[in-house]
Amino acid sequence: MKNAEGNPIFMKNLWMVEYCLPDRYLIPLYLLFLFPCTLIGQTPFTEITAQAGIDHQFIVYEGMFGGGICVFDLNKDGFEDLFLTSGMNEDVLYLNQGDGTFKNIYEGSGLEETRKYVTQGVSGADVNRDGWVDLFITTITTKDSTQKIPRSPNLLFLNQGNNTFLDVSQQFGLADLPSFSTGANFGDINADGYPDLYVGNYFRNYEGDLTYINDQTIVNANQISQDFLFLNKKGKSFQDVFESYGLDYKGYSFGGIFTDFDNDGDLDLFVNHDFGYKATPNFLLENLYPQKKFKDISEEMELDLKINSMGTAVGDFDNNGFLDYYLTNIRFNAFMEHQGPGKPFVDRIVDYGMDFFTISWGANFADFDHDGDLDLFVANGDLNPNDHPMGDFYFENTERGYVEKANEMGLKDYGIGRGSVVFDMENDGDLDILVINQKAVMEYGPSTVTRLYRNDSTKGNWLKVDLTGTQSEMNGLGSRIEVVVGKRKMIREIDGGGSSHLSQNSTIAHFGVGEVDMVDSVIVKWIGRDSQVLTDQLVNQRIEVVEPEGHSQNMSIDKLWPFLGGIGMVWVVYFLFIRRKTIRE
Amino acid sequence: MKKRTWNSYILCICMVGLGCTQEQKDYSAIDLTTSWAEMALYITQFTPANSPTFASRCLGYIGLTMYESVVHGYESHNSLAGQVNGLATLPLPNPDEAYSWELALNSGQAFILDSIYVQTSDENKAKIDSLENVFYRYYSQKIKDQERIDRSVAFGKEIAKAIFQWSKTDGGHRGYLRNFDKDLVHPERPGSWKPPLYAQSFSHHPLHPHWGENRTFVAINGEIPTPEMIPFDTTAGSPYYQQFYEVYQKEQELTQQEKETAIWWSDDPDDTFTPPGHSYYLATIGLEMENASLIQSAETYARVGMAVADAFIMCWKWKYHHFSERPNTFVPRFIDQSWESFWPDPPFPSFPSGHAIQAAAAAVVLTDLMGAPFAFIDSAHVGRERDELRETDFVERSFGSFWEVATETADSRFLGGIHTHQDNQVGLDEGSRIARNVNSLKWRN
Repeated sequence: MKNAEGNPIFMKNLWMVEYCLPDRYLIPLYLLFLFPCTLIGQTPFTEITAQAGIDHQFIVYEGMFGGGICVFDLNKDGFEDLFLTSGMNEDVLYLNQGDGTFKNIYEGSGLEETRKYVTQGVSGADVNRDGWVDLFITTITTKDSTQKIPRSPNLLFLNQGNNTFLDVSQQFGLADLPSFSTGANFGDINADGYPDLYVGNYFRNYEGDLTYINDQTIVNANQISQDFLFLNKKGKSFQDVFESYGLDYKGYSFGGIFTDFDNDGDLDLFVNHDFGYKATPNFLLENLYPQKKFKDISEEMELDLKINSMGTAVGDFDNNGFLDYYLTNIRFNAFMEHQGPGKPFVDRIVDYGMDFFTISWGANFADFDHDGDLDLFVANGDLNPNDHPMGDFYFENTERGYVEKANEMGLKDYGIGRGSVVFDMENDGDLDILVINQKAVMEYGPSTVTRLYRNDSTKGNWLKVDLTGTQSEMNGLGSRIEVVVGKRKMIREIDGGGSSHLSQNSTIAHFGVGEVDMVDSVIVKWIGRDSQVLTDQLVNQRIEVVEPEGHSQNMSIDKLWPFLGGIGMVWVVYFLFIRRKTIRE
Repeated sequence: MKKRTWNSYILCICMVGLGCTQEQKDYSAIDLTTSWAEMALYITQFTPANSPTFASRCLGYIGLTMYESVVHGYESHNSLAGQVNGLATLPLPNPDEAYSWELALNSGQAFILDSIYVQTSDENKAKIDSLENVFYRYYSQKIKDQERIDRSVAFGKEIAKAIFQWSKTDGGHRGYLRNFDKDLVHPERPGSWKPPLYAQSFSHHPLHPHWGENRTFVAINGEIPTPEMIPFDTTAGSPYYQQFYEVYQKEQELTQQEKETAIWWSDDPDDTFTPPGHSYYLATIGLEMENASLIQSAETYARVGMAVADAFIMCWKWKYHHFSERPNTFVPRFIDQSWESFWPDPPFPSFPSGHAIQAAAAAVVLTDLMGAPFAFIDSAHVGRERDELRETDFVERSFGSFWEVATETADSRFLGGIHTHQDNQVGLDEGSRIARNVNSLKWRN
């Protein structure tokens, strides 16, 4: 950071102030930061962790990673529930009781198998299309591990519809695939209605087992590994098609996201890699559906970032119809702005004045204040053990661009942040925030537990859209929803997991619409299928959109344009003809 | 001037391997010794959990084994038994019997490599065996006296076995199993090392924190006093601040040539034979240029190996004594928050520079053996893929002396932005001192 004369500028942000001070000044400084929020008590977000019954802390395994949160409606009561991984601690399954509180029903839920493992990330999807959201949980090793090489199978649990799950890891072929896995993301890459799954691996098994590497050396060997790309075989099993789909890279993977970056109606894949500058950069892989192939276009789209890529927030921050991606990193994050079709992405983090020095993990775009544009929450935390407190960020999207306001919003938490999610916990229409914090390995000043923030700030109106696929994936994962209000078109992509850091946000699309009472149209673009349009929808409601039966495959609205254009032309010619005739008469 | 690339080494080993099935090739002493040095470096590079510390130690024992397996064939030279630290005796050959010192060297090298790199792959072990077989066939055919052959092979093995036994007590035995001490408490003080944010390794813990407690090959090397550092001071313009400011400033104006220097010497243990391996490789270049004899080669590898091993032990002792920060910690905190070094940080404290200390140690040894002016080309990394992130190629280097190599190696860490001048200067000074102690053992009569 330099000023116009080329001299270095110090203390650009709050964190930097702390960083320059000896440690003995730090604690009073936190108090100073906390006072405005705690004493006045009128911040737009209110921390309600304890009163909501949330009591969670992620315990890290040997300085490694985690954890993640999955938002899903366990029992279809309309209130979204939560699963949180806990690493060396016991995982939790929080049932949303609808009264602003959660109850941990992990015990007796059938998920207790996760006790044996050091869990990392979690994603949800209706794997077997029975109407209930199932959970996929990544693990890095077993807790009681006597094995020298950390690796263990990942876990798949089918939701039985009665608040319990059935462990089907074995049946789905996961038991034989021990790995050190991080993030997992669901998406229907072949548009057959069954959600497929991508799993990021940091380490994995080694070809030829231990003949190439004897002894207990693998962890130290920096042996990067391939990820898994599991094709969902009609909800019965998974088949790893990583190589047959044209993927051939290895890296320190933090998993990916399925996202339709090019608006062509199929799910592309973006992969986050740690140590990109040393091992393998990030990847953007274009889905060539209906071909069974992904094409590496990372370089031409300039998303081959060589950073410590920890996670991704997805959103069209400038409402130009193209998704942008905010990537978390060590030191400075990357704000990858979509420049339009075929054009490479550009990192705007410096241009937008968001280049704050920190270590970031989770990140979520959401319209927290219902003004029609996307704000951004970022969960920060030091490497653990290092344990230098780093406050979270809240970037409000204002007319002047993004302004960091975590302190005044009541969100400047100094815990060791990791995965974060947004969801509407009490169905009041606005989005609340849940952030996982890790227990500090070393001595640490501020408290560092998982925190729930209730959004009390919003004034404007809102609209929520909840998808039910009939032929498409049951919850519309990866589908695009557009809401048009006058000249403004806002888009959302349903989160299939692997977003933020090892997490999955609410799968109910949320829009802030300001003062308007009615939106002009809601357009749902189902993955690999037709679009569906609803017009003149009242605000402040949750719309349930069910995919029409007999919905045709492969007809995205983009492919309909020439046809619609043709009809339009005929109509215009006919209209002119009539008009001329009328004038003559 | 002679050029050799790393790839040609591997090729060379394969060709040696082919020699057994095709028409008999003539091998000279230099083929024997350098082939084993190349094999040592191949195993170093392609054994997982590789580290510069452990590699330096292995090269010390491998070089010493080579020397001790042949030294009794030369009245001009003395065994180091009784001279190096804690190695009172070694097996002696029967003075009334004849030996093939080539066969002794051959079996000794195979044994020590197999033992000290016990963790390497079966595939790599097969490579060691096959090299041993090639030379065994060649030299035994020439001798045709089976008793003498067996005696020589057995002697080489005995020497290697005795040295390997002795190596187990130095503190570094199977050190790759303890690369990082997860219970280590990091000293917290102004200027103390912080785990890197722009890192070569994902470990938050520094590499081999107890390596400095290891036994040195030369006893007096272990007694060298701890060098002092410039005291911590964040005042702009203070000597401490200035050290880092120079790194910061240099990074803004790196020329393409300087970038080439920076990446050439990085010798990352994940991708290469490590910095001490690079020094061992330079010995090979020198020996080949001089078409050195068996004893000359063996002495050279022993001296270089022991010098770099002692250099790493002392360097690590001092690194953990001072536990000092890297420019990537100081500069963003006190000079420019957005600054990042050209090359990522290795996972251990800064002062003094390991690259500088081992490069100086090797250079002083090689200069003593081969003379001060010594022109050669180093092609170790020629043919490696371009570093796309830094837009820099691996371009061969020419030198007029071994000391030029040492200073360039030291400078390269400054250019890479991961060491200050004082880290490098102290490294060069102390590395020279360590090597002089190695040189002053009674190698010759």
